Amino acid sequence: MALLEAERVVMRFGGVVALDDASVDVGPGEVTGLIGPNGAGKTTLFNVITGLLAPTSGTVRFDGADITRKSVAQRSQLGVARTFQKLEAFNSLSAFDNVRVSVEQNHRSKWRHRRVSEVAHEMLGKVGLGDVADVTVGTLPTGSARLVELARALACRPRVLLLDEPSSGLNEEETSSVGEMLLELVADEGNDLAVLLVEHDMSFVMGVCARIHVLDFGKVIAVGTPLEVQSDAAVRAAYLGGDEFRGAYAGADG
Amino acid sequence: MILGLRLPVALAALAAAVAAVVIAVFNWKGAPVTGQTFLVTTYIGLFLGALWAMYATGLVVVYTTTGVFNFAQGAIGVFAAFLYWELHVNRGWHSVLALVVVVGMFAPTLGVLLDIVIMRRLRTASLVVQLMVTVAIMVLLLSVVGDIWEADTARRVPYLFGIENGIDLGPSQLPWHRLIVFLVAVAIAVAMRYLLRRTRIGTAMRAVVDNRELAALNGARPNVVSSTSWALGSMLGALGGILIAPELGLDPATLNNVVIIAFAAAAFGALRNLPMAVVGAMLIGLLRAHTGAWLDFGPDYRFAHLAIAPLLLLFVVIALPQARLEVGRLAHNLRRHERFTKWWEGLIGCGVIILVAVALSGGWLDFGVWDPGAWGSRELNSANEAMALALIGLSLVPLIGWAGQINFAPLAFAGFGAFVYLKLAGDTGNGYWIPLVGLLCAPLGALVALPAARLRGLYLALMTMAFAQAMSLIFFPHSWVLPTIGVGRQFPHIEMFGVTFDDRRGFFLLIVSVFAVFVFGLVLLRRSRYGRRWMAVNDSQAASATLGIPVVWTKVVVYALSAAMAGIAGVFWATVSGNVDSVQGFDLLIGFNIVLLVAAAGVSIPVAGIFLIFIPLFTGLGHRLEDTGNVDFLVTLLDITTTYGPGMLVLGMVFNPRGAIFEMGRGFSPMLPWRGDARAEIAAENAQKREPEIGELGIERPFTPEEVVALDRRLGILDDVVPKEGYGAARS
Repeated sequence: MALLEAERVVMRFGGVVALDDASVDVGPGEVTGLIGPNGAGKTTLFNVITGLLAPTSGTVRFDGADITRKSVAQRSQLGVARTFQKLEAFNSLSAFDNVRVSVEQNHRSKWRHRRVSEVAHEMLGKVGLGDVADVTVGTLPTGSARLVELARALACRPRVLLLDEPSSGLNEEETSSVGEMLLELVADEGNDLAVLLVEHDMSFVMGVCARIHVLDFGKVIAVGTPLEVQSDAAVRAAYLGGDEFRGAYAGADG
Repeated sequence: MILGLRLPVALAALAAAVAAVVIAVFNWKGAPVTGQTFLVTTYIGLFLGALWAMYATGLVVVYTTTGVFNFAQGAIGVFAAFLYWELHVNRGWHSVLALVVVVGMFAPTLGVLLDIVIMRRLRTASLVVQLMVTVAIMVLLLSVVGDIWEADTARRVPYLFGIENGIDLGPSQLPWHRLIVFLVAVAIAVAMRYLLRRTRIGTAMRAVVDNRELAALNGARPNVVSSTSWALGSMLGALGGILIAPELGLDPATLNNVVIIAFAAAAFGALRNLPMAVVGAMLIGLLRAHTGAWLDFGPDYRFAHLAIAPLLLLFVVIALPQARLEVGRLAHNLRRHERFTKWWEGLIGCGVIILVAVALSGGWLDFGVWDPGAWGSRELNSANEAMALALIGLSLVPLIGWAGQINFAPLAFAGFGAFVYLKLAGDTGNGYWIPLVGLLCAPLGALVALPAARLRGLYLALMTMAFAQAMSLIFFPHSWVLPTIGVGRQFPHIEMFGVTFDDRRGFFLLIVSVFAVFVFGLVLLRRSRYGRRWMAVNDSQAASATLGIPVVWTKVVVYALSAAMAGIAGVFWATVSGNVDSVQGFDLLIGFNIVLLVAAAGVSIPVAGIFLIFIPLFTGLGHRLEDTGNVDFLVTLLDITTTYGPGMLVLGMVFNPRGAIFEMGRGFSPMLPWRGDARAEIAAENAQKREPEIGELGIERPFTPEEVVALDRRLGILDDVVPKEGYGAARS
């Protein structure tokens, strides 16, 4: 059963339709991809799922319960965590403190100070930032700051992790280690974790995702395994352009 | 939805209406209501509204097009009004000529200068810096006015179009001046609306504030656009000032306070909606005129009708829908490492503060005083005032410095603290009540913050100003609140630990100890999970929320803490000033000066509060200099420093937003033996500045410069043909 579902979400900004009846579902134990050309509405969908935007219509369900009306913080407490495409790290805090804020918020006072530090260090180590723990995040390069965001999101003990272009700013080696880490995380049954991944690096997406949703102009135009999606005519049209493909697709659909 | 309004708006409107009716019934003056008086009152209200609308129009135009909310709008009006008086009345120029020179030449020049020198650099600055800088401009403009046109002369600005003649309305008449002003204000609002919505430059103006780069790519010229906005805004402020001066009299403070009404009007239009802002201004004007005509609030609430604007602002803030958490707006990247003071460093620092205080008050050290010897009572009094102000300043550190929320009402909270203490401790001066004062002030802070914390930070700033004004108009003048029995010292001496702090020296040591305890507490707090969370919320509200942090609640808590600290500080402040009457909630300039000085010092650093010492210390120093004689120029210098210092310091924030103490600490910390990290950082910075040596980056040059020159000569390549940057530049 899907852990997180966005059902027939419509998001209008004035006359612009950013999401048009988009439905996405994410299952536990796997990485689900969300791809699409620039401006397709991927980040908007993330904002709707996490509650930063209230959709014009449609529902967001988490673990079967409707969370469309819940606040951002409430969703986070249920286990929805995310990273941002445009960085939203806490620039004036150190990398360690960035993660610590998250640990402190999400593990309550059950744990003492030392335990909080341990967890925070563990999370930083997981993303490979153990060395820069005490560096102020505002002075870190973009790629590292992105990893801080990832560690911070992981420290929320999420059940659904939404990653918005985690590989941008990272080199190939770092990207692949992030991919491996994601696969490890979802494979661990104890985590019971689902990941929704927005990404432009196709080899990364195709490598880690079990299923992929393709968005174009706010509509989901294809869902399937990486292989199915790659061979889909509508997806090719969306990515490569070509009106005849799009026309053919629209005809087939309508 | 009720009558097309969202539920909270409808409820707030209903509550306001009920409250208005109740207030009206209980305070009815009993004057007969006739069609005539009603009509006259209405046109006076509309005329007042039109004047405020002019200010509000300027605010909205500048805000929608540059994203900066100009607190100096009123001060521009003040300056223009005085300049107009100088030219027209003092120099005898024709009124039209003076008007053209002031509104048509001086005001736009000032606006453009402000834009070029200051405002452009604030585009990516934080809200705190933006607001502080416009407030600093306000304070500076008012200081300049005060210096050029000294208060000892009575001045009057004549009505522009004559007040004697007008349309006959039976027993009274509608003077031409008021009719014309009303029409002009409405015409200006309509013209501005047309300019912003229908013209090419207007579209560009609105586009630039949304996305400067994108607008520039589409052919808008952002710098031209922002200069135009500032010129327009400044002209509107100037015109408003000249037109309102005949009504209010030519007094800088009174004229400047008009801007608060304009803020309320602008907020009525959600700061961007011009027609609604004008409606808001008219509404306030009508309410003011009609309450003045029909209601009598009695001696205890004698200023209540002036509080209509702040109350309207409160209503607007409650009714506005919750703001979206913004994503993708994180502007700056820090270039420097942020280091928090360690707890033992804090302890040592506080110890040093106390030791210095002991040495100073004992007369063993001599700071800033010419002739050596013990501190006299005047110095001690100045020092006590300074420390009390510094305590109030400390209350802003967690709020402005860490959580990034603005509070222009520290004095209102301090005054409330003094009031609570007076009621609790009565005549005994029992110091053990002081912590309870803090506890009782906290809920007030939370209450003020609660409606505005849901909105963008600007509303909190406006809300605190409105709160401060409402307190000083409604709360503090009430005879029950601060009874004024005779003159002189009415606050009892504080008694604590079996000691009565009745001499200035003992009190000085007490207040310095409290200051040190507060500073140490803040050092600990900043390193705690709460301090971290507040800074996180300041850095990114959206990210904080996605981690599960209740953002609004967090802001409210910081406000409560700040109010508690200010309240406690207020007890000391009231005790120093002695006279209960001096605890007024809202002296615009003192309140602003406290906030400005703390901000300029570097408000994220606890000891920043100590910067406030400069206000009274300079005054004390001035007395001393006057006594010794023959140092006129020093007195003048000091005068200038005290008047312009805070404003100038804050203008420095444009270039150095972290504040003076931060920069001082940066120079000082490498000298501390345990601060190896600071030394390393300086070394790293210097290394970056140094040009890499040849070969260091793995690049080798086959020819020495001399050989290159020789080769050039041989090949006949002239120096002036070859660009200095090298051959690559020539090719590309």
